[in-house]
Amino acid sequence: MLRLGKNVIVFDGGFGSELERLGLEGIPEDLNMTSPEEIKGIHRSYSCADIITTNTFGLNRIKYHGAYELKDVAVRAVENARAAGKTVFFDVGPTGAMLEPIGTLSFEEAYEAFAEIADITKDIVDGYIAETFSDLYELKACVLALKEHSDKLVFATATFDSTCRTLTGSTPEIVANTLEGLGVDALGVNCSLGPKELLPIVERLVNSTNVPIIVQPNRGLPVLEGGKTVYKLGIDEFDEYTEKMLGLGVSVIGGCCGTTPEFIKRISRFSGTEVKRRAVEPKTVINSANVLVEIDGVKICGERLNPTGKKALKEALISENYDYLVDEALKQQEAGADLLDINVGLPQLDEKKVMPAVVKKVQEYCDLPLQIDSSDAEAIEAGVRLVNGIPLINSVNGDEEVMARVFPIAKKYGAVVLGLAMDKNGVPRTAEGRFEIAKRIISRAADFGIPRHKIMIDTLVVTASAEQALVKETLGALRLVKELGVKTALGVSNVSFGLPNRPLLNRTFLTMAMTCGLNMPILNPLDGEMTGAVKAFGVLSGEDENSEKFIEAYKDYSPAAPTAALTSQKKQEKSASSLYDCVVAGLKNKAEELCERELETKDPLSVVNDILIKALNEVGSLYESGKLFLPQLVSAAEAAKAAFAAVGRHMPKDAEPKGKVILATVKGDVHDIGKNIVKVVLESYGYRVIDLGKDVPPERVVEAYKEHKPIVIGLSALMTTTVKGMEETVAALRAENCTAKIFVGGAVLNAETAERIGADYYTRDALEMAKLLDELFPQNKG
Amino acid sequence: MNCSEIKPQIYNYLGFKGVAESPDTDELIVSCLGKLEKTAQFNSLYRAFENAPEFLKKPPYESFLAGTAGVILSVTTLGAGVDRLINRLYRTDMARAVVFDACASAYLEAKSDEFERTLGDNLTYRFCPGYGGSSVEDLKYIFEILKPEKIGVTLNESLFMLPAKTMAGVIGIGKKVKKTCEGCFMLPHCKYREEGKRCYASEKTL
Repeated sequence: MLRLGKNVIVFDGGFGSELERLGLEGIPEDLNMTSPEEIKGIHRSYSCADIITTNTFGLNRIKYHGAYELKDVAVRAVENARAAGKTVFFDVGPTGAMLEPIGTLSFEEAYEAFAEIADITKDIVDGYIAETFSDLYELKACVLALKEHSDKLVFATATFDSTCRTLTGSTPEIVANTLEGLGVDALGVNCSLGPKELLPIVERLVNSTNVPIIVQPNRGLPVLEGGKTVYKLGIDEFDEYTEKMLGLGVSVIGGCCGTTPEFIKRISRFSGTEVKRRAVEPKTVINSANVLVEIDGVKICGERLNPTGKKALKEALISENYDYLVDEALKQQEAGADLLDINVGLPQLDEKKVMPAVVKKVQEYCDLPLQIDSSDAEAIEAGVRLVNGIPLINSVNGDEEVMARVFPIAKKYGAVVLGLAMDKNGVPRTAEGRFEIAKRIISRAADFGIPRHKIMIDTLVVTASAEQALVKETLGALRLVKELGVKTALGVSNVSFGLPNRPLLNRTFLTMAMTCGLNMPILNPLDGEMTGAVKAFGVLSGEDENSEKFIEAYKDYSPAAPTAALTSQKKQEKSASSLYDCVVAGLKNKAEELCERELETKDPLSVVNDILIKALNEVGSLYESGKLFLPQLVSAAEAAKAAFAAVGRHMPKDAEPKGKVILATVKGDVHDIGKNIVKVVLESYGYRVIDLGKDVPPERVVEAYKEHKPIVIGLSALMTTTVKGMEETVAALRAENCTAKIFVGGAVLNAETAERIGADYYTRDALEMAKLLDELFPQNKG
Repeated sequence: MNCSEIKPQIYNYLGFKGVAESPDTDELIVSCLGKLEKTAQFNSLYRAFENAPEFLKKPPYESFLAGTAGVILSVTTLGAGVDRLINRLYRTDMARAVVFDACASAYLEAKSDEFERTLGDNLTYRFCPGYGGSSVEDLKYIFEILKPEKIGVTLNESLFMLPAKTMAGVIGIGKKVKKTCEGCFMLPHCKYREEGKRCYASEKTL
């Protein structure tokens, strides 16, 4: 009996090349049904391996469109693989569809497809190998589905390119941390490269986790020879590299594209030999799909996505205006946050519904790892489940009930947990009291299988105005907790509540706390004083080697503007002195500022008519005469839009705005470049645009029509294949007796097509549409 | 990659009508290309055949491949990171998004050309399903054969390849053929030709 992680285990090799050798064509999965003897023959030829994988790479309901029932193929494929008389792992490949946000497949749909496979096969296989995944999010869906729907071993491998990233940009460390967190039994890499090229990736994998590593390389890189692609790497070389990988501590070996039974026969000599021991030192690490953050030194957790005391954020959450949250997230990322806290706790909201929606939306645009912050365990799980990567959970405390609810979630999803040093009885007054609770949290976590490095402790800030004597207890507790070998966090700005000059107190306290071992201040990253203190601490503590980060941040520092170094104002410094010039030159920030100034002396309508409309006309005619181009047109539109926003703030509340326009890229179509340009140009003309996004089904357009009663609906499609979706949308709107004018546009559209599919107007670009709107709806002008 | 090589093509995509270039846009292009080089994960997948696969045994592929000694199917992509970045730029900086998008398209073309040169000298241009009256439906065959999901590329129901900055092509071996407008499905309402230009790098536009 081979023991995973102790004895080397050998997987089988390439299947496609064997099918080709036998001249078997067609959908590979269907061959399980049509040519079972040949398939069994291939499996038998690999019986030198310890584990045989089924011929089911493309067998899931999203990808498989063969002639048989999915269940029948799956069962037969397992039977065929059993012919080799070895342990059988079910081969699970990706869905072949792109997940949201780049594609349209949802995480849940991918999960369901994989869950179905597990439901069918859980009692007839020995394990699963999820392989050749290039999207970490899809791999997470797959592993979760396999683990939740079966109790068999789950191995998972991703495919990387020669830059050591998956095709969605995840590094080996990110893949390892995520898969380890999800509790796979072995993780690694397969396909795309040969063993030589995989070596640097394998080196990084073995150094980032103690989970057994599996490697299944291709037979080198394919070469073109006499009009055919061939794999040329020899068996000796393949064997040699396999031995090198085993020397690094790899546990499971095998082959992928181009490898044949001869290759596997050779490397089967390693089967059962002792796996080289590895001892990777555990670290406190969280990650998104593209960013890995080790909580060490000082890392900034952005606190702005928490509605407590933030009116605009509250309103945005209640009205489901998640765009506002995305902007806040991106601002914090830009300002140097390392991770972002997400808290949606408002009495009028159902947290367990809102949390996953916000997580999805924020990670669509923002690269940073997330901290899921809630007191509701269900909301925590709903959020953590959808995180693409490994998040931090905020929080548990010393209360047994809370720990019993939250720790199982953290264990299942591999999350790091922030433990607050308090319990039912409140916050202990002494450092020692908090230290005791921290110990209890760490020990209880261990009972749930959560190691110490996955726990962080918040020693809790009290307000100096109310409990001055206790400030030092917080700091004392930090020092004590550090001795337990865990990382620490504090919501620092609470300290100054109720006192004047809060920034000074906050910054001073932050510095004191960092000196006592604070690893993760939770603060407002847009506050340059605070992030500046973190950067300065980096220099003085030696963490910022050669002061590189500090110098980079402050290289343009001048004493006159001590903290303004955060945002680049370069473009704004150009000399455009009037609002008119600013719009024409596309200077967004300055246009807004100058517009505000104009509005001090002029009424809003005359600012619009005498300046903004004229500037837009100038931009329009420059564009039409070829003196100004798309990027400048867009910049000018953005500047005008910013100015209009200022105008809007000065308009009387009951003023009639220009009409509403609904925009959508139709179902099936995921290109929204054109639609986005139309949006900003129409907004710059003062229209209120409701953007439904891309891949919008006809029903949603109809729904939005009924809800918003727009004057115009603009539909975009880029390709001939999606004009059909456009036609359906127009028909659906007509069936509802739509009174709004329907505009269509996009690369393959023209006036004839527009007429044929029943649209009212076709315009070739954004500007033409804006002008036509002004013509059609003169009463709305200005 | 040399920035100046693909700059004319980027201006072309941005609709510059052969008038003076703009220093602002120039600056933006340079900065976008810098970011692009860091973000893009160019990847390619190909397979060569002595005998053309069945789906190519029909017009217009037949005439395109006449006199060739074999055929290569290829898929090239810049990866999902570029799509992600473009999406984000649309929220934070529209003008940059527009320029970045054009840079990415030109960059993909150039990287794909560069990749094809490694396959040999005597090759036709990339004929992509959709050209010359061929159907984009043929992408399905290319996907069945190459399985480009291995390099993170997918095909959706509307026959869009995702990530968006991806190309699939049919290349003839043993015959040099350059791209022309002849038979292009956009020919009747091509916006480039209206202005006396071409969508591909030809001597005319450079």
